[in-house]
Amino acid sequence: MGISSWLKERIPVSGDQLRELTNEPVPNHLRHWWFCLGGTPAYLFVIQIVTGILLAFYYEPSSRTAYNSVKYITDEAAYGWYFRSVHKWGATLMIAAVILHQMRVFFTGAYRKPRELNWMIGMCLLLLTLIAGFTGYSLVYEQLSYWGTTVGANIGASVPVVGDLSKQMLLGGETYNERTLSRLYIIHAAILPVLTIVLLGLHITLIRLQGVSELKFSSEKEGEPAHFNFFPDHLLTEIKIGLVLMILLSVLATVLPATLGPRADPLSTPEVIKPEWFFYVAFRWLKLFSGTFAVITTGFIVFTMFVWPFIDSFLRRRKGLEEASVWVGILAVLSIVGLTVWEAAVAH
Amino acid sequence: MSEHPETPVPPQEDGELDRRGFLARASAYAMGAGLVTSYGCFAAMAGRYLYPARPAPKAWMYVAEVAGFGVGSSLTYTAPDGATVAVARQKSAGNVDDFIALSSTCPHLGCKVHWEGQNQRFFCPCHNGVFDPSGAPVSGPPFEAGQSLPRFPLRIEGGLLYIEVGLEGLPTGEE
Amino acid sequence: MTLESKRRVIFFLGMLFLTSLIFVQWMEVTRKRQEAGLDDAHVSVPAASKGCVDCHTDNTPGIVSHWKGSTHAKKGVGCLECHAADPADADGYPHYGKHIATIVSPMDCSKCHVTEGKEFATSHHAKGGRILASLDNYLAEVVEGARVPFNPHSKTLGRSHESEKVNGGASVESGCKQCHGSQVALVATDGSLITMADLKPGEDGKPTNTAILQKIQKDGKGKPVLHSSTWPNTGIGRINLDGSLGSCSACHSRHDFSPRRARQPENCGKCHLGPDHPQEEIYNESKHGVAYRDLRDKMNLDSRTWVLGKDYSAAPTCATCHMSGHSRNGGKVTHDPGERISWTNRPPISQVMDTDKNHAVILETDPEKRRALIADSWEAKRNRMKDVCSHCHAPDYVNGFYQQYDDLVRLYNEKFAKPGTAIMTELKKQGLLTKADFDEEVEWDWYYLWHHEGRRARHGASMMAPDYTHWHGMFEVAERWYTKFIPQVREIVDHAKKDGRDEKAKAVEQVVEEIMNRAEHRWQKEPPKPPEPK
Repeated sequence: MGISSWLKERIPVSGDQLRELTNEPVPNHLRHWWFCLGGTPAYLFVIQIVTGILLAFYYEPSSRTAYNSVKYITDEAAYGWYFRSVHKWGATLMIAAVILHQMRVFFTGAYRKPRELNWMIGMCLLLLTLIAGFTGYSLVYEQLSYWGTTVGANIGASVPVVGDLSKQMLLGGETYNERTLSRLYIIHAAILPVLTIVLLGLHITLIRLQGVSELKFSSEKEGEPAHFNFFPDHLLTEIKIGLVLMILLSVLATVLPATLGPRADPLSTPEVIKPEWFFYVAFRWLKLFSGTFAVITTGFIVFTMFVWPFIDSFLRRRKGLEEASVWVGILAVLSIVGLTVWEAAVAH
Repeated sequence: MSEHPETPVPPQEDGELDRRGFLARASAYAMGAGLVTSYGCFAAMAGRYLYPARPAPKAWMYVAEVAGFGVGSSLTYTAPDGATVAVARQKSAGNVDDFIALSSTCPHLGCKVHWEGQNQRFFCPCHNGVFDPSGAPVSGPPFEAGQSLPRFPLRIEGGLLYIEVGLEGLPTGEE
Repeated sequence: MTLESKRRVIFFLGMLFLTSLIFVQWMEVTRKRQEAGLDDAHVSVPAASKGCVDCHTDNTPGIVSHWKGSTHAKKGVGCLECHAADPADADGYPHYGKHIATIVSPMDCSKCHVTEGKEFATSHHAKGGRILASLDNYLAEVVEGARVPFNPHSKTLGRSHESEKVNGGASVESGCKQCHGSQVALVATDGSLITMADLKPGEDGKPTNTAILQKIQKDGKGKPVLHSSTWPNTGIGRINLDGSLGSCSACHSRHDFSPRRARQPENCGKCHLGPDHPQEEIYNESKHGVAYRDLRDKMNLDSRTWVLGKDYSAAPTCATCHMSGHSRNGGKVTHDPGERISWTNRPPISQVMDTDKNHAVILETDPEKRRALIADSWEAKRNRMKDVCSHCHAPDYVNGFYQQYDDLVRLYNEKFAKPGTAIMTELKKQGLLTKADFDEEVEWDWYYLWHHEGRRARHGASMMAPDYTHWHGMFEVAERWYTKFIPQVREIVDHAKKDGRDEKAKAVEQVVEEIMNRAEHRWQKEPPKPPEPK
């Protein structure tokens, strides 16, 4: 007991206060696992940070060394292939989890007043995750990742007004050059994680302040307690999900380990060039329409998603369209899935 | 994560409640053990990943012909890893003990010593360590600790002198 | 779910996670062991070959280990897939419950490798075994050895079987046939040889002359005996018992059948080297060979496909130019190395490679008839080669090179080869040479001139080795011509004159002096003026 009283004197926070602070009452509907999808990307984010730091120990961000250092991680360092594969699959699962979380929030209308701002923060987190996926893959410096980055940067350049600036800022020059990789690296490994941590903190603080939006299921009986304890009850659920994710990641890493294609060759573009799966939607969209139009529509769609809570409220109050968001959501999901499958199925 | 949450155990009055309390505690310990071993294993693997994957490669390299190496003469050999090695012949017995190959790395804290011709000594600029031509310490911290300049392993095969040196080094300042 | 059951689930999941990590560690250890060469990559032995592998792992561990490293092993092609024999096969025998044959012929390989088999069968390689009538074979069989076995004339200390006759074919068997290929023969009960000529195999390789099968001598285990003069042999044009030609393992050594090895020049160098056709040495001297040695690491030799311009472009090997696929022909490999060769420099006088439908070089002189016979012209072949060259060289460079090469071949042909052939023909026609080959010095010299030195010059030019073209080539051709060949012919003429065979001697003399009076040979009589400064 000596130690605990010694600590209490120096850190004047009592266990009870701490519990009070963290022990948010959790609505009963969170007993269903699909309502816990918000914690999943957060957990995966931690995994990405841990494995990312491990990879950074050996990764050398320059066009002359990057490929060989990834090769070293994959072929020579003990368990290097495992941590690289976990990082790769972690990214994939994280993007999937963010999208699922967002779909759940959307279809249950959890973004409605007073939670509009948190929805917008969530949108920012989605974009950050996607950019992290893009920049992360470009660091491998294999043929596909090199050309993916080149194509991606040039798509960005077709944005009116700021396009060229954004490309120059991303590549550090007109084209991919000696200084490009270090930029991509610092964006991926420093700027994006810091922004994500800040926004994630805001996101969670807002949830904590506003409370989780509550849902009632018809199967629940009247008069039963509507909440249960975060601690330890809900924490255990999150630990369970974390373990399931770790098992899933390890299995994926061993069964489908991250591969290493041929080294980037700025003089020859591969026959089949594709971005990572989560950009299939945008890639197919770009192939359907002319460059600038596709970029502007994409921007418009993203903007619409951002301000959807306000559009939804306008539709509900002024037009009385209660069900509009459900139909728009179904349409959006179907077109995203459709475009992704289309892009995945064809070579060009 | 290994913290075991308190479980509400009602006051123990009869055997039934006692058994339930024991089971609750057992499951809490099992959970803790499961978490510690699995994540601990993950952490151990991360540690193994960070530890160098293999020792620096070494090889036996040719230095000079024994016959052409006069007693009392010396030469400076540059290893593939960039290390400069002073190789000298001190005796004429014809075996490997005639030769010494001195590393230029100071045994004190790893700085590079250099040869001062006018003083006939090796000098380390970091803490004024001084060695005689055979590598024995003369003054400074190496003398106090009794540390000589390290020697590279040598071998004679077919009348040729070989040295075991590292193969991979950092680019030198001259490049 | 109660708290307690949650905890139990967490314990269970934690153990599961631990198990998956242990699996990860197991994989890491396996990977390291494989890298260190301690373990073979995992291969599954096909069920039918399980027995073979079990036993041969002890008896012939090398064979099993080679096979385990092969693509065959990874794709589930085991022992029986190649070695299983039909009961009708002449060389099949029972072996621990299976019926197998020792020799795997191109017909067996073609069961899967259909295109490769077809291309190879029509190639000049496949005809390598048909050398019985050639001068080279005469040399080894008669001049070096003896066509009949003969008795030793004294004892060899320490050898007990002194009654054994000396095998006069030894040089042919260990020399010629190891490259060219033997005619595989089984031993008959009466000691004679049974070859495919006796078995008369049908289209399917099965013998049609079944009567002779009774005569095959078998060992104690019922295994037909292969005659040691014909096997072991992996010559490129081996004549097999099933009627097929060649041996795939000539280049794709058994039992790992490595495409990697066939891609390397050393592989071709088993046969394409030496004084009469030093292709490997020529390649080594050329810039191509120098680049290959330097850039071997960048040749991607282990790649599954090996397409020039796509999988590698560091340097060309023999296979690159003569066989392998490249980015301009859709990566198509050919197993007929003659498809891109425009001159044949094998005969005394080089011929262009116009080939007929049987892939034989056309020697027809009448232009009309010649045109009708051509199935594949030399120009088509040259263009195929140019497609390879142009991966690294501009058209002007390639065309310029071919001009230089053509010029050298034509210089040799016109100055030495055609005149020399004319003189030798006239000597024989006039009866100034005996019937036997190689019993007169001039025959040796003429043979050296075209077969060794002349080929070195032409091959040297064909593959850009200046030293072989000049010092080992044209220089020696000229030396042989002026200091040996022509003086000897003149001596024969003089002898004939003294012997009173004046007319015959004059006929030859006329041919020789007409040739030696030509502008290119007149320098001996009228020293040329020094070249005028330009």
